Amino acid sequence: MIRFENVIKYFGNTKALSAIDLEIKHGEFISIVGLSGAGKSTLLKLVTGEERADEGRVLIDDIDIAKVKVSDLPYLRRKIGMVFQDIKLLPKRTAFENVAFAMEVSGHKRDRIEKEVPKILELVGLLHKKHNFPNEMSGGERQRIAIARSLAHRPALLMADEPTGNLDEVNAAEVLDLLLKINKLGTTVILATHASDLVNKIKKRVITIEGGRVVLEQERGRYKL
Amino acid sequence: MFDSLTIFRIVKTGFVNYWRNIWLSAAATMVMTITLVIFSILAIVFGITQFSINQVTDRVDVSVYFKPGTAEGVIEQFASDLKKKPEVSAVTYTSAEDALAAFKATHAQDQLILDSLDELSDNPLPATVQVKADKIEDYPHIAEGIQNGGYKEHISKVNFEDNRLLIERFGKASKLIVVGGSVLVAIFSIIAILVIFNTITLTIYNRKEEVEIMRLVGATNWYIRGPFIIESLLYSVVATIITSALVLALVSKLQSSSLSYISGTGEGNLPLFYPYGQWTYTIPALLLIAILLSVASSMLAIRKYLKI
Repeated sequence: MIRFENVIKYFGNTKALSAIDLEIKHGEFISIVGLSGAGKSTLLKLVTGEERADEGRVLIDDIDIAKVKVSDLPYLRRKIGMVFQDIKLLPKRTAFENVAFAMEVSGHKRDRIEKEVPKILELVGLLHKKHNFPNEMSGGERQRIAIARSLAHRPALLMADEPTGNLDEVNAAEVLDLLLKINKLGTTVILATHASDLVNKIKKRVITIEGGRVVLEQERGRYKL
Repeated sequence: MFDSLTIFRIVKTGFVNYWRNIWLSAAATMVMTITLVIFSILAIVFGITQFSINQVTDRVDVSVYFKPGTAEGVIEQFASDLKKKPEVSAVTYTSAEDALAAFKATHAQDQLILDSLDELSDNPLPATVQVKADKIEDYPHIAEGIQNGGYKEHISKVNFEDNRLLIERFGKASKLIVVGGSVLVAIFSIIAILVIFNTITLTIYNRKEEVEIMRLVGATNWYIRGPFIIESLLYSVVATIITSALVLALVSKLQSSSLSYISGTGEGNLPLFYPYGQWTYTIPALLLIAILLSVASSMLAIRKYLKI
């Protein structure tokens, strides 16, 4: 599904990623681990087209992202769900409206939105909180709403950048369970994290990045840093 | 590019943003209004000046008085010769009899004058020919031509009221108004552009989070930019409505009071946007100016600060 071919990325004179070769298959659950600043976020940004590789290629289903026109990037992003550590919900909108917002911007009709959003909220287990505002929910619930929003376009790929970074253990476990559930339903999931206990619990493929390089690849890995 | 639903959502967001930042919006709208009011006042003053020039110009003519006893045929020939000249626009012949009749009619109430006229055996009034030219600057030349022309011996007097000095003064004033007014309009246009630029920039910062999320969930560039442009269009529309109300009130007041002062009759339309002379041109013209200013400045702000 996603292939990194000898990808190099610089920020000024600093080499953020060097010679990354990586393949992620359809339906996989892959954890990218490494310390802060190792290059995990940069790797994800290359997939969404937010950053462009200085050398090498990033391919999604054999499409070279560098060749996607800037005006077409929004359509690419609708195929990729993104979740972040800082959650990024709109504070003045309810849970329902936050998820609906993602569908509105891509031109879905009101009746379709009314039908789809409850289904997605049910999937993340928060249908009963649909009229609540973000400040009326726990951190874990907020992150699950953010995940619901990222699912609004029914993406083939969900990328989570430190989704549990601001959460306590219980909430983190809830979010992780949800990601695993989404993966089971067929969505490819990339989880970038430095939370070793989570990664050890999943027992799925782990890529370890250090200083912009892939230093370890394990099929059923553990966090080793 | 967009379906109607998307356009509706963009427009709605624009309206919501205008309302949410009402004080910022009010400031931007006010500056735009001031610019438009200055522009309108400039246009009105220019219109009045032009109107005055026309009024004065209309009253200028060359009057040719013929010696008593000049044959009518000679005068008619003179008139038809004049008509052939390209610079002459109209020639009016008034015979001595007609002049007397008109004079009597004017003074029908004044028995003393009528009695005095009856005392005279001859008609004391001369036959006259009035000449009008297209251009004010042609009058001296026409008058001179008549004085030194072939009909010299029949003519007793050539008279023309030289209003050129007055007209030139009006012309100078008109130019001054245009230049001074244009400078003012330019200055206020720049201020309006800067204020709207800043307002839109602040709105972009206010909505930074929302914009980021929009981008994240795959909103197209124009879906993100659209509301900011709608917001700036609203400054234009509201400013145009306010300005139009003010200007139309002012114009109707001027129509009734000043017009009679200038023209002496109170007739005619004040040419607000000379040479069109129709106030119905005002609102679209103001709106167009406002839209150009606001869209230009909001596009500048969007290009500079709204990273897509």
